[in-house]
Amino acid sequence: MRLRDVGRRYGPRGPWVLRGVDVELPGAALLRVVGGNGTGKSTLLRLLAGIDAPSAGRITGRPRPAAYVPERFPAALPFSAAGYLTHLARVQGLRRGAAKRAAEEWLERLGAGGYARTPMTDLSKGGSQKVAVAQALLAEPELLVLDEAWTGLDSAARAELDRAVAERVAAGGTVVFVDHDPRRLAGAAHGLLRVAGGRVEASALNGPGCGEGTEPVPLGPSAVVTVSGPAGASLPAGLPAGLPGGPGSTPGPGGTLRLTVAAPYSDALLRALLAARPPWHIHAVEPAPGPDPARGSATEGGPHS
Amino acid sequence: MNALVRYQLALLLRSQRWLPPLLLYAVLVAVGVQQGQPLLDSLGYAAAVLLPVTAWLVRICVTGEPEAARHCAAAAAGPGRTHLSSLLAALVAATVLGCAGTLVVTMISDPHTGDGRTAVPLPLAAAAGLLTALTCALFGTAVGALCNRPFLRSPGWAISAMLPTVLLVLVVGVSPANAAVRGLVTASHDGEVPVPWLPFTAAVLAAALAAGAACLLVPRRR
Repeated sequence: MRLRDVGRRYGPRGPWVLRGVDVELPGAALLRVVGGNGTGKSTLLRLLAGIDAPSAGRITGRPRPAAYVPERFPAALPFSAAGYLTHLARVQGLRRGAAKRAAEEWLERLGAGGYARTPMTDLSKGGSQKVAVAQALLAEPELLVLDEAWTGLDSAARAELDRAVAERVAAGGTVVFVDHDPRRLAGAAHGLLRVAGGRVEASALNGPGCGEGTEPVPLGPSAVVTVSGPAGASLPAGLPAGLPGGPGSTPGPGGTLRLTVAAPYSDALLRALLAARPPWHIHAVEPAPGPDPARGSATEGGPHS
Repeated sequence: MNALVRYQLALLLRSQRWLPPLLLYAVLVAVGVQQGQPLLDSLGYAAAVLLPVTAWLVRICVTGEPEAARHCAAAAAGPGRTHLSSLLAALVAATVLGCAGTLVVTMISDPHTGDGRTAVPLPLAAAAGLLTALTCALFGTAVGALCNRPFLRSPGWAISAMLPTVLLVLVVGVSPANAAVRGLVTASHDGEVPVPWLPFTAAVLAAALAAGAACLLVPRRR
């Protein structure tokens, strides 16, 4: 996806909110948007999601389907949570049965399965934010745009959203997010879009789990997965290509390999290793020793892993 | 597009905001149409009433969804398509009203000309009445599309633009909606039932142009 000389202003004589934005968004990437309040972060996200059209320039190659999570999701909709999600899943192209299943599954994953039949107007702020997050994940979007989507979620749902983001990236999607918490998905992001003075400046971060980035961002929690390859595989050369999160590897005891990966990617990494032909054997999954081990939730695992 | 229109129709039906325009239509038809009156006069009146009711339905459909929810649907399906689906939902609702109204009027009216001498062929009259109602529904959609978001965003401007525009489209002689209604009323004198294909075609064009312009503008304005 490419933005060429993109500008956006509200009204033909309004001031330019963004101007001369020229960036390329790669696939299979997690990009963080940073910038002060009112600099145009949300405007940039709406342009990326295709909700607004640029006032100048062109946006080409937007992956489809795209999905967007707004920062506030008012629940003033005359549906039940599951009813709304089923409608949105149908809009996103799922068939009736698949739409119903996706709605139930995502409410369940975000810990809102009990609210499926609750009218949206009766949901709490966190409950309606879960519905907003669920609607974006229903149809496995190739482009996921998150505008402070974590705000208002409980910690279990926040971790689940982290994992869902890693899943989308592992599946080759592009995820762009804004969050006020600098530790959000730290160590997992591939790039930074810095918004200031109406301009957007893109910079790459080194692959997750590969040590220092080019930007001074806090390193997030990591997970260590100890694996051994199928018989005859040479380590580490025999590792399947393109593993989620781009894990760094060090030799472990007894001919094993210790893969270090940003914590949100651990489930996706395990899935990729177990699904490889021939499959790899998992010895252990543990949080990497780090400054904040409480956040390394990799050993909890998900119901889906 | 089907899923989007179903979503917008579900929003309209479940929000129960369709009730006021339905009541307006029912009351206006009940006031203007009495049992045993000449059929073609009544059909023309019922069709004319549908025009402002449709414009109101469009306003309800394009403003009914909270902005955040609109953005979610727009990211999934494109902002132009989501706006078009809300216009189509209003048109579908208006068409249902128009069909029901035409049916009721056809059943209770007297199928003769105004002087009671010439019999009016019932199926042909009903078809002409239905086509006139659809013409008015399409013009109501066009007026609603041009007098609301994204062209006029504040409710004050939107409503004060919608009322005179609706009147103009109904009253001015060059308007195809006026021509279709007038055709029925004139036929009630001479018994020659016209089928208003020309006004209907004009209405389809007008609605398509207005909807197209609105859908193009939606992602460009806030």
